[in-house]
Amino acid sequence: MENPYIPVPVKAKKITVESDDKTLRTYDLVFCNEEERFEFLPGQFCQLSILGKGEAPFGIASSPTEKEFLKFTVNRVGVVTTAIHWLEEGEPIGLRGPLGNSYPVEKFKGCNVVIIGGGFAFTTLRALTVYLLAKRQDFKDITVIYGARRPGLLLYQNELAQWEKRDDLKLHLTIDEAVSGWNKRVGFVPTVTKEVAPSPQNAWVVVCGPPIMIKYTLPVLSELEFPPERIYTSLERRMKCGVGKCGRCNIGPKYVCVDGPVFSYAELQKLPMEE
Amino acid sequence: MAAFKIKKKRLKELIDSLTKEYRVFIPVESDGVSSFKEVTSDSHLPTINSHNTDRPPKEIFFPQTETLFTYKEGKISPPEQPNTKYRTPNTDKIAIFGASPCDVKSFSLLDRLFGMERNVAKCSGYKDAYWINRRTNALIFTIGCNYPLSTCFCNWLNGGPFTKEGSDLLLTDIGEDFLVEPCSQNGEEFIKTKGLPIQKAAKVDIKRASTVRKEAESTLSEPVDITSLKEGLDTLWDNPVWNEIAYKCLSCAACSYLCPTCYCFDIQDERAGNARGKRIRVWDSCMFSLFTKEASGHNPRPSSKERMRQRIMHKFNYFVENLGDFGCVGCGRCIRSCPVNMDIREVINTIKNVKLTISNEK
Ligand SMILES: Cc1cc2nc3c(=O)[nH]c(=O)nc-3n(C[C@H](O)[C@H](O)[C@H](O)COP(=O)(O)OP(=O)(O)OC[C@H]3O[C@@H](n4cnc5c(N)ncnc54)[C@H](O)[C@@H]3O)c2cc1C
Ligand code: SF4
Ligand code: SF4
Ligand code: FES
Repeated sequence: MENPYIPVPVKAKKITVESDDKTLRTYDLVFCNEEERFEFLPGQFCQLSILGKGEAPFGIASSPTEKEFLKFTVNRVGVVTTAIHWLEEGEPIGLRGPLGNSYPVEKFKGCNVVIIGGGFAFTTLRALTVYLLAKRQDFKDITVIYGARRPGLLLYQNELAQWEKRDDLKLHLTIDEAVSGWNKRVGFVPTVTKEVAPSPQNAWVVVCGPPIMIKYTLPVLSELEFPPERIYTSLERRMKCGVGKCGRCNIGPKYVCVDGPVFSYAELQKLPMEE
Repeated sequence: MAAFKIKKKRLKELIDSLTKEYRVFIPVESDGVSSFKEVTSDSHLPTINSHNTDRPPKEIFFPQTETLFTYKEGKISPPEQPNTKYRTPNTDKIAIFGASPCDVKSFSLLDRLFGMERNVAKCSGYKDAYWINRRTNALIFTIGCNYPLSTCFCNWLNGGPFTKEGSDLLLTDIGEDFLVEPCSQNGEEFIKTKGLPIQKAAKVDIKRASTVRKEAESTLSEPVDITSLKEGLDTLWDNPVWNEIAYKCLSCAACSYLCPTCYCFDIQDERAGNARGKRIRVWDSCMFSLFTKEASGHNPRPSSKERMRQRIMHKFNYFVENLGDFGCVGCGRCIRSCPVNMDIREVINTIKNVKLTISNEK
């Protein structure tokens, strides 16, 4: 019988310091045993473990179309995330996954997709954007709005620069306060969303970021007349097992690890809000 | 189904014969606390209390601390048999002799969560290898409760002191003998084992059993109708009644540790030196404030009110929605163990009354 608690070994092929304050690092992981590689969809997550320290859940930041590695971006906050930051290229780390549900990319086919992200929650949104671009003909307009407190905290800057040059993707980058050398938008994500005013016609929107950003962006989307069924977000909760057993991550009757982490706004409105 | 009987005097023979094929667990009393212990070469007969034990038998299948795997120099080894600790040379199969019907029902409920084949309503698709390894081929001898406790309310929850859900054999204490009724194929087959000190029951034994049962059932209080409790709870999330219910709770979690259907656990790593160690799971409880505390210091369930609401909602609403039955078997242990006398029956009644008041106002 499959034992869902046993991690498989992977190792970091490449480690990138992602933010100017060094609290974020990105890991391109490869499987030690090729046969353990799995299929997944954007929005799913994995548990990464450092033996002796424990494990923690992280959204998969690479797209399933990128076959060479699995990407994760880790914010250093506590025991496991610090241990991951100590990791050096080539060193082994454990992985369990893919876990949870995904963004409903099948439903997006033939439609416009609006992606709104804030801060380091852009991880699975990167996965989604890369996925949409890899299957570009399947989708209509792609709009990405992405903000961070300051330029140095924007993730994946090389890729953002490439996306800016593309004419089949509309990228709107923003930072909270003006700084010299920044010639793009300035302002909070909800405000910028209002300015950009993506059309709800035949469109789906995915929004991820800090709770405060989500809280102020949802009303903007409603004002723009996006129906709650077409607004998706990804939730974070403390997790342990990741497989719906340990009873840790529920919001009402839904377990974020197996029923989520991706929920539509319509689904969330039906859940009791535990704040 | 045919009924059989066994002389109480000859129980030891029955248990001895079981130990040839099974690791056998029986209720024993030590230091005034009754719990299930494994039969060893020098251990005694079961303590037959005619009601449920102080500690539930769930730890036989779901130990309080369990090794998920060990690791050494980066290599991970899952325990081949998760139950190595008690493993006897002969066998890994488990038999429980003398569990009460409520506890046996709790096994069926947890089977759904952990993904046992024969009882999957919904287990999120993931099977818990540890639970399933122990549960598979387990043989359960239930002893009905001749003397239910004043805290028992199994009859509110589709249960009763002699119900069979989850049992392989149901025993009824009829004086000098136990009436033995097989209630599953495994139970039937066990009866056919050669050389057991078991004989066919006579009509009078069956009659005696039915009298005993009626008497036992009559000592339980009148069941409260909770068929619409789930729907009632759907509307009570924001109701101030949770303050009223929870204000005296100390968040000590005694209620959930002793509950046969509570299963929340934590996962931790234990190091033994630099390159060696293990990952374990340990029982946890939603009644502790640290259960949901987040990095920012923010806690979605900051006070006993939110935590009590979670416990009650989980048992009487979410469990029904996800696993198809109430997550409570009415064993009454939480009532007996609570230092501030929280009584889950009163909680249920309070909720029902709030619901009534609300619908009357409409
Ligand atoms: C589905 C999902 C996807 C995630 N994706 C990412 C990602 O891509 N990148 C990333 O950096 N982080 C991500 N996280 C958050 C990450 O899992 C936590 O930061 C991590 O578990 C902290 O572990 P730690 O051992 O370092 O912290 P600990 O030492 O365990 O704890 C430090 C503090 O963090 C709290 N904490 C633990 N887990 C969480 C949690 N999940 N949410 C809030 N507080 C928590 C603890 O209570 C404690 O106060 C995700 C979480 C979920 C549930
Ligand atoms: S909630 Fe209380 S009465 Fe119900 S099963 Fe658990 S311990 Fe027994
Ligand atoms: S045993 Fe009583 S005081 Fe302790 S957590 Fe349960 S309800 Fe609260
Ligand atoms: S993390 Fe264990 S149930 Fe969701």
